Amino acid sequence: MSKLGTPVKLDIASEEFRMNSKEVREARDAHWYAETDWGIAVLSYEDNTHLLHSPYMGQGSAKWPRQHGVSSGQFHEWWSQNLLVLEGDDHHRIRRLVNPAFSRRKVRAMEPKFEELARELIGSWIHRGEVDFASEFASPYATRILCMMLGIDESDWHHIQELASTIGLGLGVHVGDHIASIDAAVNELTVYAEGLITEREAAPTDDLLGTLLGANREDDRSLSRQELVNIVILLIFAGIDTTRHQLSLSIDSFQKQPDQWDKLARHPYHYAERAVEEALRVNPIGRWVTREATESFQHRERWIEEGTTVHLYTLTGGTDPAEFNNPCDIDLDAERSPHFAFGGGVHHCLGHFVARTDIGVALAALAGRITNVRVGADTDWLPDSGNTGASYMPITFERRNSVE
Amino acid sequence: MRIDVNMSKCQNHGQCAISAPGHFWFDEEGRLSYRSEFTRDFLDDVEDAMDACPMQAITVVDDE
Ligand code: HEM
Ligand code: SF4
Repeated sequence: MSKLGTPVKLDIASEEFRMNSKEVREARDAHWYAETDWGIAVLSYEDNTHLLHSPYMGQGSAKWPRQHGVSSGQFHEWWSQNLLVLEGDDHHRIRRLVNPAFSRRKVRAMEPKFEELARELIGSWIHRGEVDFASEFASPYATRILCMMLGIDESDWHHIQELASTIGLGLGVHVGDHIASIDAAVNELTVYAEGLITEREAAPTDDLLGTLLGANREDDRSLSRQELVNIVILLIFAGIDTTRHQLSLSIDSFQKQPDQWDKLARHPYHYAERAVEEALRVNPIGRWVTREATESFQHRERWIEEGTTVHLYTLTGGTDPAEFNNPCDIDLDAERSPHFAFGGGVHHCLGHFVARTDIGVALAALAGRITNVRVGADTDWLPDSGNTGASYMPITFERRNSVE
Repeated sequence: MRIDVNMSKCQNHGQCAISAPGHFWFDEEGRLSYRSEFTRDFLDDVEDAMDACPMQAITVVDDE
């Protein structure tokens, strides 16, 4: 596919910027990429999936804190040693040891607990006909599942969620302004994680943390205590806000297509997986996957210099009409090419089976109980760039009486 | 024992090559190659690879 236009410039920092807009669709019609203040924005599905696996690309998030004026302290220390930014053997050794704890089999075993939690939360507000979905479902659901996996007392969920969001500020452009509280959160979680690990060492368990503690391979030494602490913090950082916001985004997409919502309600086991995939394709929490050129190389007509930041645009690629029919619509029966909302290559999301399973369980449970869902116009959306979502999302609904 | 990768599902993520580097690797184009025959001694590694594959594209066949 060759496009004859010239790449446009997208002002992604503007308040008005929307991924799912005429402006971005026209930019994608004109060219496979656009320029932005933060590097190249890759727009087409074909180029995104190609560059996702390019041998000239590294993960690219390592230098973020330094680029924003943070070059010491607990957050910086932790960030520079976490799986997401490690490369080569350092990354692969740890990834190989932690992967088995996140297998589909291990996650499936937790499914009944996810279902029970979804039922409990829905039961607490269904009689009202309205609820702030963000704070009364998405937040507690995502956070309590992470607590469950790590063996953290679920009644602490609110505090854990605050710590996760505080560390999350480390990936924002204002990291410098918040660094004192971010460092304090990393500190607190370090102490917390050490406590959990000490408990497990004294009394082994077969939950996720117990599995990680026992992770060992003859030819790879096991995880050090520091590596275990780092991974616990990473799971809290990478697993809570992602899942929480993806739940709200999924509801927002399905409310626009009540026929698909009702279809899910009628055949939850058949469609739950598809529902998650379609929501991630048309409305992903991570609006781009970050990459950086590790050497200079040619891609199509463009020479990409070493060190260039390349953002792979998930929503834009996932709704590219060159790849998908009725690209912006959720269609639970369509055969779709894979989206890349979980990234790709060696850094492909470690927790994707967890997210896929728990979001699927949640959507099926919700579709089975509520219908005519409307998302309030006063929803408090985060900026539509980087990671997005809603911090406040009032919805109204009717109770579903029966599913024919 | 035999490894079978469904290449129409495989997205070249390389998690298999991290788990069992002796059995899965990438060619110069960045595409997956794998050794289809293996012995039971490597079953643990190969099963880890199968579990870790994000696309669940790997199957192991016991034809011994
Ligand atoms: C809807 C939910 C989620 C989305 C969309 C998501 C997305 C992503 C993305 C895009 C990456 C980077 C991949 C790359 O650079 O190619 C990533 C990495 C990661 N994610 Fe997730 N994630 C989600 C949920 C989770 C959960 C629930 C966990 C843990 C329980 C988790 C743990 C991780 C970890 C540890 C990494 C780093 C992996 C590595 O660098 O090897 N994520 N995720
Ligand atoms: S892990 Fe799966 S998708 Fe990735 S290269 Fe191996 S077989 Fe292909």
